Amino acid sequence: MGPSILSARNLSKVVPSAEGDLTILHELSLELKQGDSLAIVGASGSGKSTLLGLLAGLDLPSAGSVTLSGHDLGQLDEDQRARIRAEHVGFVFQSFQLLDSLNALENVMLPLELDGRRDAREHARSLLERVGLGQRLSHSPRQLSGGEQQRVAIARAFAAEPAVLFADEPTGNLDSHTGERISDLLFDLNKERGTTLVLVTHDERLAQRCRRLIRLDAGHLVAPLEP
Amino acid sequence: MARLPFIRLLALALRQLLRDARAGELRVLFFALLVAVAASTAIGYFGARLNGAMLLRATEFLGADLVLQGSSPAQPEQIAKGTAAGLVHAQVVEFSSVIATDNGIQLSSIKAADSAYPLRGALRSAAEPYASETSGGGPAPGEAWVEPRLLAALDLKIGDSIDVGMKTVRLSRVLTYEPDRAGNFYSLTPRVLINLADLEATGVVQPGSRVTYRDLWRGEPDALASYRDSVSTHLAPNQRLQDSRDGNRQIGGALGKAERYLNMASLVAVLLAGVAVALSASRFATRRFDASALLRCLGLSRRQALGLFCLQLAILGSLAALGGALLGWLAQLGLFKLLQGLMPTQIPAGGLAPALAGIATGLVALAGFALPPLAALGRVPPLRVLRRDLLPVPPSSWLVYGAALLALGLIMWRLSLDLLLTFALLGGGLVAAVLLGGLLLLGLRSLRRLLAGSPLAWRLGLGQLLRHPLAAAGQSLAFGLILLAMALIALLRAELLDTWQNQLPKDAPNYFALNILPDDKNTFAERLNEFSAEAAPLYPVIPGRLTEINGQAVQQIVSKESTGDRAVQRDLSLTWAADLPQGNALTEGQWWLREPAADTHLPGVSVETELAQSLKLKLGDQLTFSIGGEQRKAVVSSLRTVNWDSFQPNFYMIFQPGTLQGLPTTYLTSFFLAPGHDQQVVALSRAFPAVTLLQVDALLAQLRSILAQVTLAVEYVLLFVLAAGLAVLFAGLQATLDERIRQGALLRALGAGRSLLIKARRIEFGLLGAASGLLAAIGCELITLLLYRYAFDLSWSPHPWLLLLPVIGALLIGGAGVFGTRRALNASPLKVLRES
Repeated sequence: MGPSILSARNLSKVVPSAEGDLTILHELSLELKQGDSLAIVGASGSGKSTLLGLLAGLDLPSAGSVTLSGHDLGQLDEDQRARIRAEHVGFVFQSFQLLDSLNALENVMLPLELDGRRDAREHARSLLERVGLGQRLSHSPRQLSGGEQQRVAIARAFAAEPAVLFADEPTGNLDSHTGERISDLLFDLNKERGTTLVLVTHDERLAQRCRRLIRLDAGHLVAPLEP
Repeated sequence: MARLPFIRLLALALRQLLRDARAGELRVLFFALLVAVAASTAIGYFGARLNGAMLLRATEFLGADLVLQGSSPAQPEQIAKGTAAGLVHAQVVEFSSVIATDNGIQLSSIKAADSAYPLRGALRSAAEPYASETSGGGPAPGEAWVEPRLLAALDLKIGDSIDVGMKTVRLSRVLTYEPDRAGNFYSLTPRVLINLADLEATGVVQPGSRVTYRDLWRGEPDALASYRDSVSTHLAPNQRLQDSRDGNRQIGGALGKAERYLNMASLVAVLLAGVAVALSASRFATRRFDASALLRCLGLSRRQALGLFCLQLAILGSLAALGGALLGWLAQLGLFKLLQGLMPTQIPAGGLAPALAGIATGLVALAGFALPPLAALGRVPPLRVLRRDLLPVPPSSWLVYGAALLALGLIMWRLSLDLLLTFALLGGGLVAAVLLGGLLLLGLRSLRRLLAGSPLAWRLGLGQLLRHPLAAAGQSLAFGLILLAMALIALLRAELLDTWQNQLPKDAPNYFALNILPDDKNTFAERLNEFSAEAAPLYPVIPGRLTEINGQAVQQIVSKESTGDRAVQRDLSLTWAADLPQGNALTEGQWWLREPAADTHLPGVSVETELAQSLKLKLGDQLTFSIGGEQRKAVVSSLRTVNWDSFQPNFYMIFQPGTLQGLPTTYLTSFFLAPGHDQQVVALSRAFPAVTLLQVDALLAQLRSILAQVTLAVEYVLLFVLAAGLAVLFAGLQATLDERIRQGALLRALGAGRSLLIKARRIEFGLLGAASGLLAAIGCELITLLLYRYAFDLSWSPHPWLLLLPVIGALLIGGAGVFGTRRALNASPLKVLRES
């Protein structure tokens, strides 16, 4: 296992609500090394997605700090955090988040094009072939099944060769068989490319495949699993 | 990611746009812009070309595009410059001469013209008095064409010969129409038209004799303008330039109103464009919230994400604007083709300006209406990828409406160049929108309570409106704006046409009688009353020249070529009157109540406003006139506007009664004579040989034909606005289509029948249309109140028929709504649910 890539120190998130301030996360700390994999599990509303958002720099904590690839996210403004995301982070979402107007190939090309890579098309094509969609390049998301859409999303997430891949319920919208194949793909790629994987899931079998697991209950860390 | 250079962002935007276009998402926005630019370009072209055509018509009144007139022949270099500029030239020499025969003598107005004359319009003549006329040609050397009045006065017939000075010419035809005669009918005696080749032989034109030389020019506007510039600075004191604009006041008035009207129509088209763009741009933005969040996740900065979408819209807007301009150009070509028989044969092409203006209009509207909703895309939180319910902070409504209003105001101002009109429209629209939008919102909220127990179709239809009352109010306002625009155009069209027609009633005076001697005054009036009930009062006329203003010579005060300049170059017809003449209105000062007391200071004079402006006159200024060799002083006591379109005798200067006594006076009047009573005119002219009777039928006919064209133009422009409005309506419906398809599919999946859906939809759009119609009716009254009062100078009264607008709105929008959303009824529920 490599050096530390992602760490959280005393992370708290408080949001105002009608009944006063609501604490979604309570002073949570963790550290991940390069190539590690972490599952965040817990009931609905336990704060899993909030934690994921904070770790990925999509949101800022009320207290505590997150360090990603050596950068203290709390010290950066939104545009600087966007740059960190572009350089170090990939995402896979429960709802796939493919752009309807783009076909499969174009969706995967998007982050490469943003990066100005001339080989965007070839690289995207080889990634889609790697996830088994070499024959569906020109299909629009609407023409693809849920599992196929998630495979496109995974290809897109790996396209920019991120140091950390965040996945939010990657199998949540899929049947168990398809979900199984998607998680195989995720872990295969994780291994091939040495990516650090952070995933939020309800799926206990998926969670068990991660090297580390934390369980959240109402914003508290209840079952830290030490490496 | 390294910094994203602009060029890569542009390339990316272009690629995204192409992909989006293929997916069909941007079609609505493209279509809305296309229609808007096409409509405003077509109207722009139509207006510009029609204006050009009408101006061309107006040039007929000069017989040319540009006339160099002077009391001595033009200098050779002045002619050479015109020829060098590629202009066509014709020459006319006019003077007065007495025609004597055995039957009497008649002072006549001789015109010697070369064969190129006239350069605009054509002479019309007949073989015999009152025989059918033919167009074109002119007298050959040795011949003369004369007006019927001369034949009657001197008991001549065609084929006889007359002496013009020392030259004998044969009367070959009756002259019935001279294009350039009409503009200058006040001081006229019967016309004798001869060939310029005979001029020298007449021996009339000697050094010192009173002769007017007119050099007529025709050509392209640019060449004319450059000729005008090169000549105007070196004009001799006795020379001046005339073009169609100052050639004729009557045409000027009608043109001015037509221009305002056409500009109004353009404004309306722009307003519609704004609505369409705002609707589809906000849809564009809403549908890109997810994409924006995703791009931010992928590392784009806020500014880059926003820039990417802005660039997409800018590219799309440019394409739509170019296409729209082309389409608009084609549309007006088709329109003119359709109108071929009704239009003058020569219609100027219109140039590039209307197309460029259309494109600019489209882009400014896009910026003003699309940027505010687009700005929200820059504020989409990236966390939205995890939580779909996260929406961007809505932009300040000041920004949204401020930008839209600014864009609209800018376009309106450029189009109409009339701040008053712009403010009336913008202000009226804004007040109406705020007031009515608020009312509507309240109304919708109270409906909610009322409808709890109503049938399902009603609850479904209304539910759609009530679920987003703010959106419903906005939509209703938008549709209301369309109805309002159409109603406004229809209303103004009717109103303007009525006003024009009333100004020129069927029995508008068609004869002027000049030079009525004081001794003949009463008998003439009696004779006139026998056959014409429509006679104006007899006005005294005293020729006099304005020489000084406050003791300073007028020549030092007026600028060259101005109205004032022309007024002081010649004798003015002065008059006195106890009462303010019909068609005149005071703008400053007071009308006198009685004759001045004998011992008090100077008598008062009322001056026409435009002349007063040109002479820089104000109340209390002292004017000195030279009248019949005497100096008379008067004080400016009032300023007044004159309705020059009225064909009544009109005067620049009206004196207080009792102040011009003892000066040589003749009288002037105008009257209407029904066609076919020409013998009475002949009898009248025989009974009063000194009186000059002047027929202005030809001018009236010309004016009527121009009005007919304007009317037609107005009707076609209305059609265009209507088409644009409908297109925008459909664009608006399209914006809500996705949600409707989803909802319709869901309802059908739950077992709702097609008929229930149709009924619900009818109720929804019918109500929306009725509310829009109501808004339009109220807004229309508000705006017309302002417009009539301040822009068109018309009197305002309520328009009860506007109450039909809610019904029209319900039918139109109800029908269009059901039609425009039929896809939502026809899509398979299964497929739609799968896709969503």
